[in-house]
Amino acid sequence: MKKTFSIFIAVIMCIAIFTACGGAGTAPAPAPAPAESDSPAPEPTPEAPESAEPVTILHWYWSDNDSWTAAMEENVADFNATNDKNITVVLEAYPWDGGGFSENLFTAAMGGGGPDTAQFKLTATPLFTANNLLVDLESYVNGWDKKDDINDNIYSIMRSAHESNGLYVMPFCTQILYVYYRPSMFEAAGIGIPQTYEEFLAACATLTRDGTYGFGMRGAANGHEPWGSFIQAAGGDFTDFTSADAVKGMQDYLDLFNNGYVPPTAPSDGFNEIIANFQSGLTAMVVHHTGSFQGMVDIFGDDVSAFQFPGGKGRWTSMGDTNNVIFEKAENKEAAFEWLAYLAAGKGQEVWTVGTGNIPVSTTVQNLDFFQENRFYKASIDGVSFAGIFPIRDTTTEFITSAWPANTQAALLGQVTAEQAMAEMQKVLWDQ
Amino acid sequence: MNKKRMQPWPYLLIAPALLFVASVIFVPVLNAITMSFQNYDLRRPQNIGFTGLENYSAIMIDREFWSSLGNTVVWVLLAVSLQFVFGFIFALLLNKPFRGRGVIRSVSLIPWVTPGVLIGLMWRWIFDGNFGVLNDLLLRAGMIQEKIPFLSQTTTALPSVIVAIIWQGIPFFALMLLAGLQGIPGELYEAADIDGASGSQKLFQITIPSLKNTIYVTTLLRIIWVANSVDVIYNMTEGGPAKSSQTLSVYIFLKGNQLNLGYSSAMAVLLAIMLSLVAVPYLRQMFRQN
Repeated sequence: MKKTFSIFIAVIMCIAIFTACGGAGTAPAPAPAPAESDSPAPEPTPEAPESAEPVTILHWYWSDNDSWTAAMEENVADFNATNDKNITVVLEAYPWDGGGFSENLFTAAMGGGGPDTAQFKLTATPLFTANNLLVDLESYVNGWDKKDDINDNIYSIMRSAHESNGLYVMPFCTQILYVYYRPSMFEAAGIGIPQTYEEFLAACATLTRDGTYGFGMRGAANGHEPWGSFIQAAGGDFTDFTSADAVKGMQDYLDLFNNGYVPPTAPSDGFNEIIANFQSGLTAMVVHHTGSFQGMVDIFGDDVSAFQFPGGKGRWTSMGDTNNVIFEKAENKEAAFEWLAYLAAGKGQEVWTVGTGNIPVSTTVQNLDFFQENRFYKASIDGVSFAGIFPIRDTTTEFITSAWPANTQAALLGQVTAEQAMAEMQKVLWDQ
Repeated sequence: MNKKRMQPWPYLLIAPALLFVASVIFVPVLNAITMSFQNYDLRRPQNIGFTGLENYSAIMIDREFWSSLGNTVVWVLLAVSLQFVFGFIFALLLNKPFRGRGVIRSVSLIPWVTPGVLIGLMWRWIFDGNFGVLNDLLLRAGMIQEKIPFLSQTTTALPSVIVAIIWQGIPFFALMLLAGLQGIPGELYEAADIDGASGSQKLFQITIPSLKNTIYVTTLLRIIWVANSVDVIYNMTEGGPAKSSQTLSVYIFLKGNQLNLGYSSAMAVLLAIMLSLVAVPYLRQMFRQN
C-alpha cells in the first residue's frame, strides 16, 4: 500500500513539474493577425457607426501612487459609462519598478500575451517596433478631430522615436524640466531671472557666495537631461557632440565645476543629492520637474519659484514623456484608439493631469486655471514649444547609463578634455 | 527479481527534485553559455545569431573589461581579507563570557541581514561630501580641515565602497568562526596552559589550526559572493566616478541592462571560470588537509 502510494505521489509530482515547465515554454502563442499588421490601418471617422458588438480593451498602466490609481480608475469608469461604441476598458495596474514595467510589457507581448493598449515610455519604441508589436497610429491621428489640440512639437518628438519617423505612440502627458530658484538668494545677490544662457552662467557665479553654490549639478546617471540644455544653449545639438558649439557647451558645464560654482560632490551627485542640496540651501538653483515642487513649497513657501532654462544660440529642455500605445494583437484597433484619444484630449486628459500633477499635452487643458495659476506648472508649459528628448536609438540606454556619466565624470575630474569626452559620447550614441 | 524491480524507485522519487534543480539552475547556466557564443543583443533582434568566439575576442581588447577586472581583484582581496580579520577578532571577543553577550551577538548580525541595496543607500549618505556623518565626525575630531567628497573622487570611491562591504561581511565571518571556536575542546587550552603556552602560541597552535576548515569554507564563500556582488557598489557609486569603482560584476550587470545579453553572458562565463580557478585548487587543498 505504502509502495503504491509513493509511486502515485512521485508520478503526480513529475507530471506537475513537466506541466509547469512545459506550460510556459510550449503553449502556442497567439500570433498577431498578419493581415492587420501588414495592411495600413483604416481611416477612422468621427461618424463611425456604433459597433453592435461589445468590445473589451485590456489596458496596462503603471501607478506611482494612489492619485495615479484614483485618476485612472475614474477615467475608466467614465469612459466605460459614456462611450457610445459599447467599449469596455479593463485596467491592470503595475508598478513602474525602475523601468521593469517596460521589460514586463515586452516579455508579455513577445510571448503573445499582454494588453491591447498600455502606458508607454518613448525610449522603449525601437525595441517594440523592431519586433513588430506596435500599431502605427499615423492614420488614426490624422482622422482624429482633436489632433490640433496637441502641440506639433509633441508629435514631432513622438515621431523622432522611430527611424522612419512613424507615429507609434499617442501623447498622454509630460514632465518638462525647468530651473528651481530661490528668489531671496537672487535678491541678495542683486540679480534677476536670467534671460539668456550667458546670464545664466553669470548667475551661477554671482550666486556662489557665503557657503552657497550657484547651481546643483547632477554628474551621476540621468544628469544628461539638464546637461543637454547647456549643449543646446551653446549652439550644439545631439547629432554631433564633436561640433565646436557642442564642445563649448560641455566646457561651460565643466567650468561651473572647475570654478567652484557647484558643490565638489557634483561628479557623483544623483537625484537625491541635488534635491537635498537645494532644499538645504546649499545650492541656489537646480533643474527638475513638477514632481518635486510640493516638497520645495513645504520647505520654502513663497521663497522658491521656477523659470525655464534660458536660450542662447539654441534652446532646449528635456521632456519626460508618458504615452499610450496600441498593440498589434488588439482585435479592435478603432476601439483601442477611441480610448487613447479620450485620454489624450478628452475629459480623461483633464482628470489625469489635474489628479496626478503631470503636465497635459492638450492645449485646452494646459489653459485651465489649475495649470496657469501655478508657477511651477506654468514654467513647465512655457517649455512645451522647445522641449525635446534625446535621440532614441538602440544605443541610448548605454549612453544614458554608462557613456554619459563615465565620460562627463572623467572630464569633470580632469582625466580627459571636453573634446575627448564628447568624442567618446559621439562614438557610443551614434556608433561613430 | 524483486531487487531488480526496486531499482527505479529511488530515481523516480528524486526525479521531481532533480527536475526542479535542473530547470532553475542548469538550464539558465546552459542558456548563458549558449548566449555567450551569440550576437544576442535584444536591441537588434534581427542580428541575433551564433558568432563563435566573437564576444570573447571583443572582451580581450575591451579596456573597460580589464580595468573592471583590476578593480575586482582589489575589491575582493581587500574586502574579504579585512572582513576575515575583523570577523575573527569579533568572534574571539564574543567567545569570551561577558555581560550582555547574547544581546551583542544578536545585534551584531544586523549588517549581515540588511539588504545590500539598503546598505548601499545608507553608506552613500554616510560618505556624502556635503551632509555625511563621516565628514562631520572627522571635522569635529580635527582630522580634516574641509569636507572630503569621498564618492566623487576616483581615489576614494572604491575604498569607500570597500569599507561598506567590509561592514556588511564582518558578522558572517564572526558568526561562522564563533561556531567553530565553540567546537574546540577546552582541554586543549588547559593542556597548553599547563605546558606554559603563551596567548599567541595558543592562537597559532590551537585556535587557528582547529578552525582551518571553517576558515577555508567561509573565505571561499565570501570570495565568490563578494566577486559577484553588485547591489552595494551600484547603489553607492553606480561604478563611478569615471568607472573608478566599477567591478566586473557591475560591468556585466550594466551590459545586461543595456540588453547586450551575449556580451554580458560572455563576461559572466569568464568571471565564473576565473572564480573556478580560485575555488577548485582552494577546495582541493582543503580536502587534502583533511
